[in-house]
Amino acid sequence: MSNFVSMLLTPEFFFSILRISAPIIFATLAAIVVEKAGFCNIGIEGLMMFSALSGSLVSYYAGSWFWGLLAALVVGVLMSLIMGFFAFQMKTDIVLVGIAINMMGSGGTLFLCKVITNITEGRAMASTTGLITKDLCIPDITIPLVNKIPFVGQVLSGHNLLTYLAFLLCLLTSIMLYKTSLGLNIRAVGENPNAASSVGVSVLKIKYIAMGFSGLMSGFGGAFMSMAYAQGWSLDMVAGRGFIALAAQAMGNGECLGGMLSSLVFGFAQALGIKFSAIGLDSNLASPIPYAVTIIGLVIFAVSRNRKELKKRSSAALEKKASSQA
Amino acid sequence: MTKRREIGFTLIRGFLAILIALLVATLLIFISAEGDGIGEKMEAAGEALKQLLIGPLFRMGKNGTSFELKRLADVFAAMIPTIFTGLSVCVMFSANQFNLGSEGGSMLGAFVAGMIAVYVPMAAGIHPVVAVLAAGVAVAVVMLIPAVLKAKMGVSEMVNSLMLNYIIMYIIKYLMSTHLADKSKGQIQSFPFMETAKIGPIVDNSVFTGAKLTWGFVVALIAVVIVAVFMYRTRWGYSIRMIGINQSFSMYSGMKVGAVVVLSQVLGGFLAGVGGGIEMLGRYPTFSWSALPGYGWTGITIAILAGNNPLYVPLAAFFMAYLSKGCDLMATYAGVPAQLIDIIQGVIFLFFAAEQFMARYRQKLVVKTAQEELQRKNAQSLEEGGAVNV
Repeated sequence: MSNFVSMLLTPEFFFSILRISAPIIFATLAAIVVEKAGFCNIGIEGLMMFSALSGSLVSYYAGSWFWGLLAALVVGVLMSLIMGFFAFQMKTDIVLVGIAINMMGSGGTLFLCKVITNITEGRAMASTTGLITKDLCIPDITIPLVNKIPFVGQVLSGHNLLTYLAFLLCLLTSIMLYKTSLGLNIRAVGENPNAASSVGVSVLKIKYIAMGFSGLMSGFGGAFMSMAYAQGWSLDMVAGRGFIALAAQAMGNGECLGGMLSSLVFGFAQALGIKFSAIGLDSNLASPIPYAVTIIGLVIFAVSRNRKELKKRSSAALEKKASSQA
Repeated sequence: MTKRREIGFTLIRGFLAILIALLVATLLIFISAEGDGIGEKMEAAGEALKQLLIGPLFRMGKNGTSFELKRLADVFAAMIPTIFTGLSVCVMFSANQFNLGSEGGSMLGAFVAGMIAVYVPMAAGIHPVVAVLAAGVAVAVVMLIPAVLKAKMGVSEMVNSLMLNYIIMYIIKYLMSTHLADKSKGQIQSFPFMETAKIGPIVDNSVFTGAKLTWGFVVALIAVVIVAVFMYRTRWGYSIRMIGINQSFSMYSGMKVGAVVVLSQVLGGFLAGVGGGIEMLGRYPTFSWSALPGYGWTGITIAILAGNNPLYVPLAAFFMAYLSKGCDLMATYAGVPAQLIDIIQGVIFLFFAAEQFMARYRQKLVVKTAQEELQRKNAQSLEEGGAVNV
């Protein structure tokens, strides 16, 4: 056991937590902003699938990771705007729009991959893992000076460009939500759309912007999956991260910092699972750990929230009683 | 609006949604068709479309097209699990519970039924019945997790059920690759099912046996009737639908919201499990699934197409099975990847669920009906010597 713990306390392990958390952080940011605007986007999973595929394909055909990343972002935003069109203008239940996108994201990406590349592996499968080489992936960055610090340097330096961007975007999104007029509008639309519209805010426009933002974040997440986490796209490679992000958003209380911390918890759970299978635990038993942690996390969050609510209500009742007696 | 116009409108709207989806499909088929130049591509795309649209009924060969019962039987057989998942989603969505666990539910049901078929000997008649019921109960118990968490603590049943899908899949994979595997075989599979546990074909001839059109189909249709009666003729079914329409109203009128929220998901889980169990015992000689089967997602599409009305579920299931068979044939004979079905499914789904889709036309119909009514009333009051409203 102590052997195992010492295995965990290595810089590689902490490094892997940050790396694994990055796509979940992107997806969580996507979930947070739409939640602030008052609705729930469960299609993040599907958006990430489409972005992952288009990113890897374009980077292969254009021969550069930059165009791949750009394509992933554009596809993410476009698809999310289409989702927005159906949800806001065609009045489809947003949950159903999300389910439809996820449905298309699973088999549909495989269809597109087969059609575009003409690659088939066996009779049924296809992937772009054969197309993407190391130079077509988004590059890793070594931070000068920091990488000289023992332990900390090994944990913090040498990450992928997008990993740093994920943490940076947590900060930027938070600033956007709380320090800009756009953020104020988004929150106002989420709190009370009628009030927002009465002071001249275009509710529809804000909702589209929030949706587009979540598409952008999903685009980053998808690009990370196919061009940094793994080399190339393969079927269902997002593996529920879009759904885990919904849980991370709820556990983080809808805030960027909280969302980031809960994403790190899921990253930790997954890194732990990988370590477990490295010491001989069946990988089929290690793989469900992050999903189980999600359920447990949601329950803990709900219990603490309900308790707070109860306290608030009882203290409010006490105050009322006191004031009526006085 | 008159009832006849309402039905006519629903039909036209559904037809248009399907048409749009098929147009998208045609475009994609055209893009993916092999051939140089537009002419050749058109031809290839035409062939592929033919397979998609009439392939499930007719065999098209060099010596003309001929009706083929086997393919139709395949379509009916493919409806068995999706009718059950469709019903399962109907019940849960009616209560506004977006539980997406039918997917994992049908896999777990198949697994439980399969294990009982391998390890628990029983008499021929009751073996499949017990196995399938046990499958249903097992999934119902698992669905208690998201249901109770939702009812007691307000945790999103959607996220929890999705997470459960993954957990179920991995645990079954673990059990299948270690304790329950038939190690003498090259691929991962269980020991063969006992003969007593298998669900037989409705008619014992080569067509029905080959298509695996089993008694499960009859059971599925009976389940449709039972669920429809439950939803529209019982107190519990009424509560489920009312809570779906307006939860606060139901609570203030004295319904036990928590109990009904749990009931709807447990019942949905039971149906998904039964469907998975019947599919496993009817179609396969051993348990060999290593991934989620996809019946749950199809079930969601079916429930949306059926407007959450159990009675329309078989129709919607037939439609989806027909399209899916068409896509398979297209993959075999025209080289278009079969996953096209997922895109078609998604597009139909989007337009069907879109409330505003053709809302203007609906508005026109409503106005027309009202004007006609007014005219009739005026004519009537003229006859009686009264005033005319304009």
